[in-house]
Amino acid sequence: MIRGVIVMNDRGKPRLVKFYEFQPAEKQQELIRSIYRVLCSRAENVSNFVKVDSLFGQDVRLVYKTFATLYFVFIFDSSENELAMLDLMQVFVETLDKVFSNVCELDVVFNFNKVHTILEEFILGGQVLETNSSEVVKTVEEILKMERAANSIKVVPSIPGWQGR
Amino acid sequence: MEQLKTIGRELAMGSQGGFGQSKEFLDLIKSIGETRSKNEEDRIVLREIETLKTRLANPNTPKFKLKEYLIRLLYVEMLGHDASFGYIYAVKMTHDENLLFKRTGYLAVTLFLNEDHDLIILIVNTIQKDLRSDNYLVVCAALNAVCRLINEETIPAVLPQVVELLGHQKEAVRKKAVMALHRFYQRAPGSVSHLISNFRKRLSDSDPGVMGATLCPLFDLITTDVNAYKDLVISFVNILKQVAERRLPKSFDYRQMPAPFIQIKLLKILGLLGNGDKKASEHMYTIVGDIMKKFDSTSNIGNAVLYECICCISSIHPNPKLLEAAADAISKFLKSDSHNMKYLGIDALGRLTKISPEIAEQHQLAVIDCLEDPDDTLKRKTFELLYKMTKSSNVEVIVNRMIDYMININDNHYKTEIASRCIELAEQFAPSNQWFIQTMNKVFEHAGDLVNAKVAHNLMRLIAEGFGEDDDTADSQLRSSAVESYLHIIGEPKLPSAFLQVICWILGEYGTADGKYSASYISGRLCDVAEAHSTDDIVKAYAVTALGKIYSFEIAAGRKAEVLPECESLIEELLASHSTDLQQRAYEVQAIVGLDAHAVENIMPMDASCEDIEIDKSLSFLDGYIQQAIEKGAQPYVSESERSGMSNISNFKSQEQHESLMHSLRFEAYELPKSSMAPHVPPVLASSTELVPVPNPYNHTEVHYSATPMPSVSNAGSSELKLRLDGVQKKWGRPSYSSPVPSTSNNDAPKIQNGTTQRDSVGSANSKARDVSYDSRKPQVEISPEKQKLAASLFGGPSKSDRRQSSSSQKVPKNNSHSANKSHVEKTATSDTVAVKTSQPPQDLLDLGEPTGTSIPPSLDPFKQLEGLLDLTQDSTTLNTGGGSGTDAPDIMSLYADMSLSGQGNENPLSTGNDSASLLSGFSDAANRNGHGVNTVPQLTQQLSKGQNHKDSLEKDALVRQMGVTPSGQNPNLFKDLLG
Repeated sequence: MIRGVIVMNDRGKPRLVKFYEFQPAEKQQELIRSIYRVLCSRAENVSNFVKVDSLFGQDVRLVYKTFATLYFVFIFDSSENELAMLDLMQVFVETLDKVFSNVCELDVVFNFNKVHTILEEFILGGQVLETNSSEVVKTVEEILKMERAANSIKVVPSIPGWQGR
Repeated sequence: MEQLKTIGRELAMGSQGGFGQSKEFLDLIKSIGETRSKNEEDRIVLREIETLKTRLANPNTPKFKLKEYLIRLLYVEMLGHDASFGYIYAVKMTHDENLLFKRTGYLAVTLFLNEDHDLIILIVNTIQKDLRSDNYLVVCAALNAVCRLINEETIPAVLPQVVELLGHQKEAVRKKAVMALHRFYQRAPGSVSHLISNFRKRLSDSDPGVMGATLCPLFDLITTDVNAYKDLVISFVNILKQVAERRLPKSFDYRQMPAPFIQIKLLKILGLLGNGDKKASEHMYTIVGDIMKKFDSTSNIGNAVLYECICCISSIHPNPKLLEAAADAISKFLKSDSHNMKYLGIDALGRLTKISPEIAEQHQLAVIDCLEDPDDTLKRKTFELLYKMTKSSNVEVIVNRMIDYMININDNHYKTEIASRCIELAEQFAPSNQWFIQTMNKVFEHAGDLVNAKVAHNLMRLIAEGFGEDDDTADSQLRSSAVESYLHIIGEPKLPSAFLQVICWILGEYGTADGKYSASYISGRLCDVAEAHSTDDIVKAYAVTALGKIYSFEIAAGRKAEVLPECESLIEELLASHSTDLQQRAYEVQAIVGLDAHAVENIMPMDASCEDIEIDKSLSFLDGYIQQAIEKGAQPYVSESERSGMSNISNFKSQEQHESLMHSLRFEAYELPKSSMAPHVPPVLASSTELVPVPNPYNHTEVHYSATPMPSVSNAGSSELKLRLDGVQKKWGRPSYSSPVPSTSNNDAPKIQNGTTQRDSVGSANSKARDVSYDSRKPQVEISPEKQKLAASLFGGPSKSDRRQSSSSQKVPKNNSHSANKSHVEKTATSDTVAVKTSQPPQDLLDLGEPTGTSIPPSLDPFKQLEGLLDLTQDSTTLNTGGGSGTDAPDIMSLYADMSLSGQGNENPLSTGNDSASLLSGFSDAANRNGHGVNTVPQLTQQLSKGQNHKDSLEKDALVRQMGVTPSGQNPNLFKDLLG
């Protein structure tokens, strides 16, 4: 199963943290710091996989990828396939890009509740639920429409990205 | 999307306020982004927390503001600050009717709370309601929360609704309901065991997405119990076929591949189902072959499926054609420029070498390239592969590479792993003794503090016992070369403590054995070690005891032990050491130097470290002593079982039952104490599980004792002590029923050469007595097939498994104390190795392994008899060997015997506490002599209580003595891992 999804920037600030097994806040910070240290020490043009059994226990690996200023990190055990996870990460980012149209770090920071919504469509309880980017976009839009309808006060000024679709 | 904007651009955008959040939140993030130090950040966040606290608490805050505050709170917690004051607001927000707020509330609680949090109970009701909602998005939100927040206790509250949702019209809901059920299964398998059939049912769901979701729980279920799902093999193969033939709707295509994630899951499941099952595997060959032919190498996901095919092929019953295809695919991976592909190629190679070792050889160059690669992940993976393909022909190269790599890494976790792998490989495949010792030296030099202390003991044992060849000269050559190399290394600065211990021990045992080095030279070097590591008591203890050995060997050889001035001053210094252990050792050395050759020979026989030591667990050597005490009017010991009414525990079986019972938690209520229980109730024994030993009043037990025919006097004698030591009697009480054991084991036990009496080694080495008498037989039969399988599966080639077994057999003979067994092993070792396999008890090594922090001096009462005669300070391990006859002369002899034992076996630096305890107890014994008579037991129990339980600790102690050292207790499991 997938143990966690972390998005952090290139200076180690967490931007999105989701663990599928509960981790207390301090432990989360510690893990994020250790992962950041590991990622920093990686050279360019090397594989996207790192074994992290010293942090998470036997046979746990992580896949990371840098997108501009952000590290995307998936942590998972042997029941998942590294390459498939890498690809899923790609789809996740593509979806973010579609939803936010040209996603950047601040989109993730300010709308991390929406990012969570998108992530929930992909992964539920540590298992991959959906892999089709356009399906996810569809569902997320539907949720958003409902939310807007329910929230007639319109507190949230529309985001350019949302209006585009 | 690859061209995301830079921070500067983002901040510029941010300042325009285009993100739908308030200016405040924006400013917060900006200011945090601009902080230079952690302190500064903390200050800002703390201020933010204060603001949020007041605002959240304000009842007039509008809802949409509350929502934003909650999100800010989440942000604060993500940065690592405590936001627990706001959890309740998150819970409140889940109750909101508005979907936006509800979802925010659910998001917040799923991130804030763990499933055992007290507040969860406030959400369950809302979740129940939402699961029944007409709006499927609300249902989905609730299911998301269910996956994260429901624990074993609350599962029943939502289970019926979740099950109902399995039939929901929306496939998104069905999918999530399957996942929720899967989550329940993970969390508390028992709670949904009756619903597992639902997973099978959903496998034929009309929506492929739901079917795909069902594969997740099925994968877990099949992992735990393969055989229950063999009937699904054909269904899975059919599904995979349909997927691969693109029969699914177009929407399931993913980068032009038909539902690759479903394919991957299916291939994983098939791999499990086909493992070791020829018939099931045959169904799979065609489809797996088809997928491999069709694969698309341009995309990641295509390669992922291909890799999964290889994993599946390596797991199921081998098929030559598929293996060939897999080998082709692997070579494609390895030839790729992408590190990811190479990584998968190496991993796949590792899987396939188990089945066909020759494949790895085809890719030697590629593997070497990966080894040189700057990518650490790839390098490690390659080392893993090398580890898997090591055999006696390539062990030198591989281990040297591993050591070179190990020296250069800083990650202690991985360093430990690779060091232990080096050791393991070296132990298994060492081509020569010299090479082995050199390799171990290197590993110790660079990772000595990381490897398990057990490894050090193994090394000592190996050098002491040789490689099991009958050739004595080879053994002594080995020792000489070890001594040589250690004298060479010893001067180097910064050697790890564990390594120094080995060095000291070896120098003490064998430093002067071949006559090449003089005693004064060796003792001088030992002194240097002790002085150079004046802060390390353990090393000093080893050094001082080694000195003692050197001197006694000198004396025994008829020479005068010339104590160098520096040694003298070292001993002087240690005589006043704060560490009682060091003090005692120093006194011992001092005493030895003053003795004559005959006495010394008994104390410190040459090369006695390999002698087998027997343990009398019932301490029957105390019988005579107890007899005396009873004659003087002492109260007899009444065993625990008798006190609680179980008068007859004499057979092992019930004893074992009883013991296992004692270790687990009991959930039954305690029985009321039965003051008038009949003393003879042998049949009760059978149902001992139901009996809770309740100590009866002592006056009662006395009656008891006189009424029950208890064979062992020792039991009776020690009963006195329970008056003073109620707390410990449980630990102490049990061994007394085992009195028959030692007597039998004793009879066939080899005697120590120096023993003047027949019972030499009583307390300390008990494990052997037990192991041999019945314990060891069982594991030999049970575990060896496993070992066999491991050897076969790890190293398919016959030459390798040969080597593995023979090497293990080499090590076994001397550590197996049973003489009969020994000869048996030696015989078989020379004959066919397959036979050895079964007779080998590899777990002997394991048994030896559990290091203990304490050594348990079994008995102290020789003090009383001897303190007047000798003013030596006795070692804690002194054993009464006289069979308790009580006369002085035999006791002295036995004392010598004991000292020899303790001399060779008393390298246990950690026993300081015990030693001091025993010293004190020695004095108190003297003081108490007129008092209660028997007080050996209190000390014993004290010490026993330091181990986990007496049996374990005695067993450990036995091994300790056998190896002549005390494992110092680090990484106890490491070695276990190595041995599989």
